[in-house]
Amino acid sequence: MFSLIRSAFSGAGRTAGCSGAVFDRVKVVSAGLKTYDLPPDYGEVVLPERPKLKFLNKVPNFKKAKKEMKRLRDIQGPAKAANTFTRGQYGIVAQGGGFLHWGHMEMMRLSINRRLDPRTSFARWRINAPYKPITRKGLGQRMGGGKGAIDHYVTPVRCGRMIVEVGGQVEMGEVSDVLSEVAKKLPFPAKVVSRESLAAMYKEQEERKADNQNPWTFERVAKANMLGIRKVLSPFDLRNHGRYTGKFYNPYRV
Amino acid sequence: MAATLCGRLVPRPGAGWLPLAHSVRHGSKAVTRHRKPMHILKQKLLAVTEYIPPKPSAPPEVFSPRTREAEQESGLVVFLKRDLEALFRDHKMIAVAQNNASNAEDTLILKQRLLRHDIRVKFFPVKVVRSFLENTPYRNMKPLFIGHTVLFVSKEPKAKEMLATLKGSPQMVLLGGCIENTLLSVQGIVDYSRLPSHATIQGQLVSGLTAMTSRTASMLQHHPSHLSALLQQYVKQQSAGAAAGVVAPQSTSVPEGAA
Repeated sequence: MFSLIRSAFSGAGRTAGCSGAVFDRVKVVSAGLKTYDLPPDYGEVVLPERPKLKFLNKVPNFKKAKKEMKRLRDIQGPAKAANTFTRGQYGIVAQGGGFLHWGHMEMMRLSINRRLDPRTSFARWRINAPYKPITRKGLGQRMGGGKGAIDHYVTPVRCGRMIVEVGGQVEMGEVSDVLSEVAKKLPFPAKVVSRESLAAMYKEQEERKADNQNPWTFERVAKANMLGIRKVLSPFDLRNHGRYTGKFYNPYRV
Repeated sequence: MAATLCGRLVPRPGAGWLPLAHSVRHGSKAVTRHRKPMHILKQKLLAVTEYIPPKPSAPPEVFSPRTREAEQESGLVVFLKRDLEALFRDHKMIAVAQNNASNAEDTLILKQRLLRHDIRVKFFPVKVVRSFLENTPYRNMKPLFIGHTVLFVSKEPKAKEMLATLKGSPQMVLLGGCIENTLLSVQGIVDYSRLPSHATIQGQLVSGLTAMTSRTASMLQHHPSHLSALLQQYVKQQSAGAAAGVVAPQSTSVPEGAA
């Protein structure tokens, strides 16, 4: 039908000797109804009694504080616990190991509590208050004389651990600003995730492992001890297939 | 600690090789807070075992056979075909020529010269002509229509005039044509143009037919002595040929030649 109209117009234009001028004026106006997306349903969301982040003690309440060794293994490798969501929808997940100080926790608590609306949303810690003692020798002290006094406490965090969870009647766009702002300030690379994106991340990792076209995988070479490579590999590498180097995480390896 | 491990590592007779016990390292620490310089062999291993993504599979249209949509003929094509049909129906002479870069002036002059003999010059798109010829009795003309082609049409078969006019314009190369429902090559058209006109041929035929009858009538009116003289001469010729021993061809002794 449009072609008919067009041919009619073009014919008229040719006879009048002004083709094109008529043609450019033809404007097809279309009318329609705009359909809006349905707002998300928050029917099953239950807000907890205290929606804000709790204050965490700077020093644990021990009867007798004991000095400990460094035990760097507790920031090494992937997190075995607290690496999935429990109550919230959005959260910060660690992408490397590190120690969280009380100052980091205060920074997170203050910024999140300030920016989140307690009537529609809530936030929850997924880490414990600082419990690992770090010792320092006093300023100007000569070396020797045994281990120093306990200076402060930290919380060790492994790669893949959730730090904070946020939920309630909110969408990702409302909380991602404050969460990413907080995630930047943490002492390890951290990422803002939702339940879906975290699951997608794990799934993508699995898929990459499944469809890897390289016949020589780290796992295979290390397991078979090809060319005696285990001389330079640690048992840690046997478990993690070269994805973790100490507290560092390489997400592109399979 | 190392000493105890080493003590455990001493192979007992008949115990076999223990792979896990073999690769226990001594003195290494879990340095995690900075990147440790990696052993060159481990660096090589990491480089060799990089992730290689699978090749992207071919798009789905590769596997499905390519189908060309049935094109609906535009109004212009239908109109041109109708024109062509009328042209083939009404005209006795349709000649096809190749148009070799003739400019507007040449074309105009040629058109005028041909119009003097009532021959029209027609231009049609090759695609349209070829698709039209498919379903007509003229489908054998299809090979003539390649590239830039021109049609010279007239209601009367005027091959001679057309050839004379085309001599003056070398841009037009005659390819062939259809004159009075006969497909002709270039040579065929030239031969056709050399033929005398219709009336002349008819006159010749009539005169030939009448000449034979008049000849017969005149011969019948001759004296019988003339016939006997002719027969005598024939017998003489036959006997002379036999005496010489030469077998004379029978066809030479036709009495009509002597008459």
